Amino acid sequence: MGQFGVAYFVLSNLSPKNNKSVFVRSKRKRIAYKNSEGEVEDEDDLMPGTERESLARGMSSQKGREYTIRLALEKKQDQYIDLKGITVYIGSWNVNGQSPGSICLSEWLSRTNEPPDIYAVGFQELDLSKEAFLFNDTPKEAEWRDSVKAGLHPGARYFHVRTIRLVGMMMIVFVREEIKDQLRHIAVEQIGTGLLGRMGNKGGVGVRFELNETSMCFVNLHLAAHVEEFQRRNQDFHQIFNRLGFFINEKVKYIKDHDQIFMFGDLNYRINPATIDATKAKALIEQEKYSIILEQDQLREQMRLGHVFSGFTEGTINYRPTYKYDSNTDNWDSSEKNRAPAWCDRILFRGGNLTQIDYTSQPQYKLSDHKPVSSFFNAKIKVINPTRQRKVYEETLKQMDRIENEYLPQVTVDIPGTNQSSHSNRNEINFGKVKFMEPLRKTFTVANTGQVPVHLEFIKKLNDSHVCKEWLKIEPVHSFIMPGETCEVELLVLVDKCTAAQLNVGRDTLYDILVLHLESGKDIFITVAGDFERSVFGCSIAALVNMSEPLTMISPGKLIELEKGKMPVNHYDIPKELWFLVDRLYRIGMDKDGLFTMAGSQSEVLEIRDWMDTIPNTPIPGNADSIAETMFLLLDCFPEPVIPFSMHLKCLDSAHNYTACKQLVRQLPAAHRNVFLYLTSFLRELLNHSDKNGLDAKILALLFGKIMIRDQNYNAKANARVERTKATFIYQFLVNDDYGDDLWPEMGEDLVSFS
Amino acid sequence: MAKKTYDLLFKLLLIGDSGVGKTCILFRFSDDAFNTTFISTIGIDFKIKTIELKGKKIKLQIWDTAGQERFHTITTSYYRGAMGIMLVYDITNLKSFENIAKWLRNIDEHANEDVEKMILGNKCDMDDNRQVQKERGDAIALEHGIKFMETSAKNNINIDRAFHELAEAILNKTSRETSSSSGVGNMNAELQDRVNLNTNNKSSMNRISQCC
Repeated sequence: MGQFGVAYFVLSNLSPKNNKSVFVRSKRKRIAYKNSEGEVEDEDDLMPGTERESLARGMSSQKGREYTIRLALEKKQDQYIDLKGITVYIGSWNVNGQSPGSICLSEWLSRTNEPPDIYAVGFQELDLSKEAFLFNDTPKEAEWRDSVKAGLHPGARYFHVRTIRLVGMMMIVFVREEIKDQLRHIAVEQIGTGLLGRMGNKGGVGVRFELNETSMCFVNLHLAAHVEEFQRRNQDFHQIFNRLGFFINEKVKYIKDHDQIFMFGDLNYRINPATIDATKAKALIEQEKYSIILEQDQLREQMRLGHVFSGFTEGTINYRPTYKYDSNTDNWDSSEKNRAPAWCDRILFRGGNLTQIDYTSQPQYKLSDHKPVSSFFNAKIKVINPTRQRKVYEETLKQMDRIENEYLPQVTVDIPGTNQSSHSNRNEINFGKVKFMEPLRKTFTVANTGQVPVHLEFIKKLNDSHVCKEWLKIEPVHSFIMPGETCEVELLVLVDKCTAAQLNVGRDTLYDILVLHLESGKDIFITVAGDFERSVFGCSIAALVNMSEPLTMISPGKLIELEKGKMPVNHYDIPKELWFLVDRLYRIGMDKDGLFTMAGSQSEVLEIRDWMDTIPNTPIPGNADSIAETMFLLLDCFPEPVIPFSMHLKCLDSAHNYTACKQLVRQLPAAHRNVFLYLTSFLRELLNHSDKNGLDAKILALLFGKIMIRDQNYNAKANARVERTKATFIYQFLVNDDYGDDLWPEMGEDLVSFS
Repeated sequence: MAKKTYDLLFKLLLIGDSGVGKTCILFRFSDDAFNTTFISTIGIDFKIKTIELKGKKIKLQIWDTAGQERFHTITTSYYRGAMGIMLVYDITNLKSFENIAKWLRNIDEHANEDVEKMILGNKCDMDDNRQVQKERGDAIALEHGIKFMETSAKNNINIDRAFHELAEAILNKTSRETSSSSGVGNMNAELQDRVNLNTNNKSSMNRISQCC
């Protein structure tokens, strides 16, 4: 049996132009059908479902987005689809192997006033010859097609859509020329249910297509014969209904998948002979009491029982049985078999928007032992309104954009004490007055007000090496917040030895803009500000010796000039602040057990700081340990240490040679040399009290070596060997006897007042 | 051959003085709405809007920037990667117009060389308070060879048109570039490169120009 190859194709110009871009063109596979005309293109492969969220977050491919748009469009079909009325003409005839000869079919096919839009004409027993059965080849196909063509309604021009034939079952489909361009996805298929359950003497042939947006399926059937075989007929139907699948873009569409279905042909159902025998039937027919006989019709009965054609409708039968006549007469079968009359030839339909206008038979045709039947339908098909579709499409795009925008990460930043509504100082955290070594904390809340989890992170600004300035710490730097939840962020401002000097002279200010970045979303700026109270901590030795007033009395501009070394007056040989501290220790700390090795009180250190910045007429506060710690802090904050960075390596090189050490000290800038000598003499004096304070030269050398001979990088890891070398350098000046005379020439007497 | 459809992602940027209406322009374009309350933008925000040009669907990612002076250093770092920039001034605020020259210099220094520019004189609904005549806008645009139009986010005047024209200029440029280079691959690579520049935002910027 010949096979019609699986062919799938589309006629061009099916959809409005703007519709084309809705669909992503994907991997194309196509088999051109020889009869198809015009441009051939297939429908697109579709992505599997896409999650709304991943789509919204821009994670899905463009293809996924297209798919979602398409689904959304399908859901809104009724907004842009109109129903258009068309007419469908179905004809069916078992021609008992006869050729049409010169017969005119217009009385069968052209009975309506207006020409139908679609013709589906089915034949059974087109050719009963062995050749047709074995080779599926028959000259009758062309003969009958030509006769049908000639019999079509003369009021219109018709386009031959397809002819499909399996042995004796043949169906020809025509549509009016005007609508042929609206057909898409035309496909034909056949199935045999005859001998061995699959041969082509029984079975079905189908044609399907979409007319605009409505899918239509026509199936011409020839089911099993013989009165008693009604169950076999049911079985044939189910096999055809469930297995006849049309291939469209590698997907199968079954009969049930169509909007409008027409199934017709020689279904072979008879009148139940047990209740109505042939004689009784013929008598009732003569009286046109069809309804009484039809109660015993096997098809009607099987449908009532739900065994076959479920969901299908058949119109009222108001015509004589179409079977079985003596050929070329209107006489009932007069053969030996004396077959009982039956409505073997039937037309059934299923689907919405279908109205059957008539359903009848044309008994005037005597060629066959069957009479032809026909039915005429009004059908409504779905047609896209391009303008409205365009509108819905645009709305859908808008909606997709809205979803995508809604699903962007969203947070609000709530800073306590600020008006977050509209002011331009929104997102600004002001720490107010910030003092040296006094940590200040402020927190703010980041709330996830969006619909997706937010990963937030403070990021570096372009060209910056750090997320924020050195005097600021952010905790946490990154976080993850679920929708509806919040996260507290703490900012810690601390001006310490590393940052004080820069802030003192305005090379840096307490001002920073943090960039809070939401992954896949926006960036929020958060401004951090404060006023740094300048302090002697962080001032250089050179500036301090030129400062006759307390620091708070010095204008910022003046301080900057002093730090730049402009107008040196050298009020003092050493910074007065250092003198105050040493003097105080001399009075109260010389005998203090473990001086310089015990931590002072933090609050006293801050009080001493304030005292030094203002120098009031009150005694310097704090106990010996606090004074000692403050002294360390002051030395540690000199931007340039007592042994300047430029002489650092030389200092380390000279450490083991006292003469070289002294030589180096002589080369120090005057103020630095004075500080060095002042401190070492103080330490020597301290060692004179070692019986009380328990200190020894090695400990002091180690402590002061570290702070007077500082590494340039505050955060450099202490190297034990280097630290020992520094201590050795200081140690030389604490233990050697010939200390003093040759190093002191410029030291003013007023400062050397330990005794 | 089947028709090719390129889907493109264009990154656009709105810049200009604080209060000229950048956020309102974006809000009008993306949500077709207008809010009279002024809420200063403190940061960088963006919205998505898909438009169709010459049969191609183009996804616009429009970045709205903080206009306040103190943020300028930071916001200029977002210029790189923008394929189109809208410079917005306020026709009722002379200073904002005078600053256009400064904003143009900013673009020269920080944006891609071939970025498409457009000047918008916003708030043209407030003619009574006008401080900048339309001719002055025309003149500066002519001087720099940039498109110019007056807009009103409030009355929805020229907002859609402005974005469509800017996007079209970018589209024309990209198709010229494509036709001069050998094929689709090059175009993809180039666009990818251009769109990916905001390293903080890779995930949302990665998709671009698929040829199917």
